[in-house]
Amino acid sequence: MSVFDLLLEYIKEGKIQLNKEVHKMAVAYHDPCNYGRKSLKAFGQAYFEEGREITKACCDDFRELYPNRKGAYCCGAGGGAWAMPFSAERVFYGRIKARQISESGAQLVIAPCHNCRDQLMKSLNKEYDLNIEVKYIWELVADSLIMPNKQ
Amino acid sequence: MMYEFKVSDLAEEFGVHRNTIRNWINAGTLSAKEGPGRKYLMKFHDYQKLCEKFGREPHVGPANNVSPKALGALEVTDVAPMEINGLKSQIALDPAWADSCMTCGTCASACPISGVDGLDPRKIVRMAVLGMDEELVASNWPWKCTMCGKCEESCPANIQIIALMRKIRGLRKRALVPGPIHKGVSMCLERGNNLGIPKDDFVFLCEDLGQELAEDCCPGFKTPIDVHGARVLVTVNSKEPFGEPDDMKWWWKIFYAAGESFTISSENWEGVNWGLFSGDDEAMKTVVGRIVDNMRRLNCKVLLLPE
Ligand code: SF4
Ligand code: SF4
Repeated sequence: MSVFDLLLEYIKEGKIQLNKEVHKMAVAYHDPCNYGRKSLKAFGQAYFEEGREITKACCDDFRELYPNRKGAYCCGAGGGAWAMPFSAERVFYGRIKARQISESGAQLVIAPCHNCRDQLMKSLNKEYDLNIEVKYIWELVADSLIMPNKQ
Repeated sequence: MMYEFKVSDLAEEFGVHRNTIRNWINAGTLSAKEGPGRKYLMKFHDYQKLCEKFGREPHVGPANNVSPKALGALEVTDVAPMEINGLKSQIALDPAWADSCMTCGTCASACPISGVDGLDPRKIVRMAVLGMDEELVASNWPWKCTMCGKCEESCPANIQIIALMRKIRGLRKRALVPGPIHKGVSMCLERGNNLGIPKDDFVFLCEDLGQELAEDCCPGFKTPIDVHGARVLVTVNSKEPFGEPDDMKWWWKIFYAAGESFTISSENWEGVNWGLFSGDDEAMKTVVGRIVDNMRRLNCKVLLLPE
């Protein structure tokens, strides 16, 4: 199961309760290549809407980055590039993503992938002075949880 | 640059018989090779020397594929012609690409890193169909490409550019794979995770973090390691236990809130399969096989790979 299927299952079946007050800022969703475009090609199914649905269940002010979904731009760190010794290229690559983020006005960007999150949070945010927060989609959900009373 | 000619035309130009030209070619006096369409090819430079020797003006034009501009600047612009070895390329996944890629360049304009150090997906496709395997494997282009698929998405001919990039990566000698990804793959094959974290350390860390979580917000929580019959088996990205251990708690907190029964395997828990990036299918299969074994061993129904 993908992270999206499981998180949506919890939300739709009411297994978890979320508090939208925690994230009141403008929130953008980044489409990772591997869950979108490439998943569509490899498995005939892409996760475009699921991540948005989960994000919207946690926040009210949702922003899109353009272009998105099938036409989304890579964060610049895919394919193992985060770990490659070509960091100048990686940062240059990310210039498009950085521009999209600042144009969207988002203060928080949601990344459902480890690579994308690291590139956005640890590299692009600093290189391009974006002043954003970056969270994994499961981090967003975990931080929005209303904890049940269990003893 | 190559000069293309018909034997009969050259014979007429130099006032000799066709047989003479053929004899020169056979004897090596004239180093020319047979080309397509009953034409011959020789280096433009050799043609010029031939003209000089017999006191002729070189004939150039579209018919012999040489631009008149080439005449004056010959010495500086003469690029050594590339010989195509005629061996089947290991890289060009489909020989029909030679025709189906129309060199439109849409891929190159879609690519965010095109133009950097000469990287250009269109050029890479063309080099592949020309059998320039060695050059491609030696270049760093496929490693700077993030295999994002923007190019392929926009290609009107549906050329499999990502598969091509990955194929080229896979042909690189393993010791020459840039960065840590191949080392990670070997480490994972040897010790079960990309960073070589020992089992005891991992289990201890998970239990410790579980206790913290229990005290913090999830009373009664205990990290479920190797729990048989749990519904969900979760893999772990080794960078977390290695450098960002607190990040593992988010999922656990969600599971706790949802009342999910989940477990983490004490061995072969790695969720990062770097064989995908290094182009190593065998390693990839082994790592996936281990996860499948864990699913069977622990009798879990759902696999969650949060990558
Ligand atoms: S977009 Fe496709 S057809 Fe056009 S140059 Fe690139 S690979 Fe060839
Ligand atoms: S897959 Fe590689 S070549 Fe194609 S657009 Fe992405 S970075 Fe460029």
